[in-house]
Amino acid sequence: MMMTLTPQDIDAIWLSARVAVTATLFALPFGFAVAYLLVYSRLPGKLFFDGLVNLPLVLPPVVVGYLLLLALGEQGWLGSLLKPLGIRIIFTWKAAVLASMVVGFPLMVRAIRLGMEEIDGRLIQASRTLGAHWYDTLFTVILPLSGRGILAGATLMFARSLGEFGATIIVAGNIPGVTQTIPLAIYDYTNTPGGDRLALGLCLVSILLALAVLMGNEGLLRRFGSRRRP
Amino acid sequence: MTRKLSLFLMLLVLGSGPASAAEVRIFAAASLTDALGEICALYGREHPDVKFVRNFAGSGTLAKQILAGAPADLFISAHPKWMETLGGEGRMAPESAGVLAENTLVFVGPPATTATSLEDLPKLERIALGSPNSVPAGEYARQALTAAGLYDALLEKGRLVFAQDVRQALIYADRGEVDGAFVYRTDARLARRARVLFEVPPSLHDPVAYPLGLTVEGAKNPAATAFRDYLKSNAAKEVLRTYGFETD
Repeated sequence: MMMTLTPQDIDAIWLSARVAVTATLFALPFGFAVAYLLVYSRLPGKLFFDGLVNLPLVLPPVVVGYLLLLALGEQGWLGSLLKPLGIRIIFTWKAAVLASMVVGFPLMVRAIRLGMEEIDGRLIQASRTLGAHWYDTLFTVILPLSGRGILAGATLMFARSLGEFGATIIVAGNIPGVTQTIPLAIYDYTNTPGGDRLALGLCLVSILLALAVLMGNEGLLRRFGSRRRP
Repeated sequence: MTRKLSLFLMLLVLGSGPASAAEVRIFAAASLTDALGEICALYGREHPDVKFVRNFAGSGTLAKQILAGAPADLFISAHPKWMETLGGEGRMAPESAGVLAENTLVFVGPPATTATSLEDLPKLERIALGSPNSVPAGEYARQALTAAGLYDALLEKGRLVFAQDVRQALIYADRGEVDGAFVYRTDARLARRARVLFEVPPSLHDPVAYPLGLTVEGAKNPAATAFRDYLKSNAAKEVLRTYGFETD
């Protein structure tokens, strides 16, 4: 079977990459902060907070997309706040980024959290007994030592963003060249009699991208690991 | 407790219930959702033993589903093209073709939009239409925009929001998420806020016709052939006309 990619497909591939990179970069500081709070703070209601953070992992993405749409739409509370400022989110690629951020966030937090929990508690105690403030400990001990977790979290989120469909199609719509990412383009083809060849072409691209991300992640983690634990 | 639970789970997995004696599986264009719903309800009052399984979506999507083996008795497309696709693949019973109704393509928009003809559309930020590859209303719209020399430029600038069926395009315009949408006149009647801004000149696109046909399977189903005949009756046409469809 010949693999064919139309110019529209190329657009979709670039857009997917752009959305995934942006979503991951924007989510990183928040993901780190939330993981830090979940591991090291003694917040009341932490269990509830934990549940809330993980909610998008188990909620149907359609629910996430629909709630975002209601909040950000013309008549939504956020949408009507942003409108006078000339900021429009829905049906732009920003909406695709936002949808990916929300849906991928729990995965990122999970991975960073696992990384933080692996840190030897004595190192943190030692830094505190040496007079470090909590923020010194955070930036000189916890941050560098959770590098693996951060990397794993960023990869997971990036991969999840590449595949985001349910929330994206609702809040960002299906606009060729603007919000039509790879999964949306595939969906469009699968609805079209005779679109199978084109759909399969993009499926192959998806598989190759996902494999590349996973293998790249594994390779980086190994390098990281060998440096830390010789 | 565990036994009850496992019994319940078993029932859930296995119990799809006995197949109804008279079942009509209708695959119909999304724009027919309400009118066909009412016709089925009317018919059901006289024939309480008939059970309807209805699947509404873009006609291309439905054709694709039937091609993939989805069980369907009756197919009503909003464009002859998809009927021909299925006919060409030998899925439709040859003698069953006919046209159910006709419709008109219009452009609707929220109150803030001012556009009175296709030539005004480049001034708008976002225009919704059914994905032209699978949604007939989108295909007619693409035809008209292409004839007006506007389609490629609008697509290139990312102004076109592709909906999965005509109703989704309508909802986009009704909620004010786009500045306007191409829908049928019958859909526009259902809008809460959006109103018809102009009628798309019919000379710019193929006539909007709804061919209906029985699938090869459906032709063997007496309940399906009976309902197909009912669709051509005056009672059914009356309902279609109240929803704004044109019938002969």
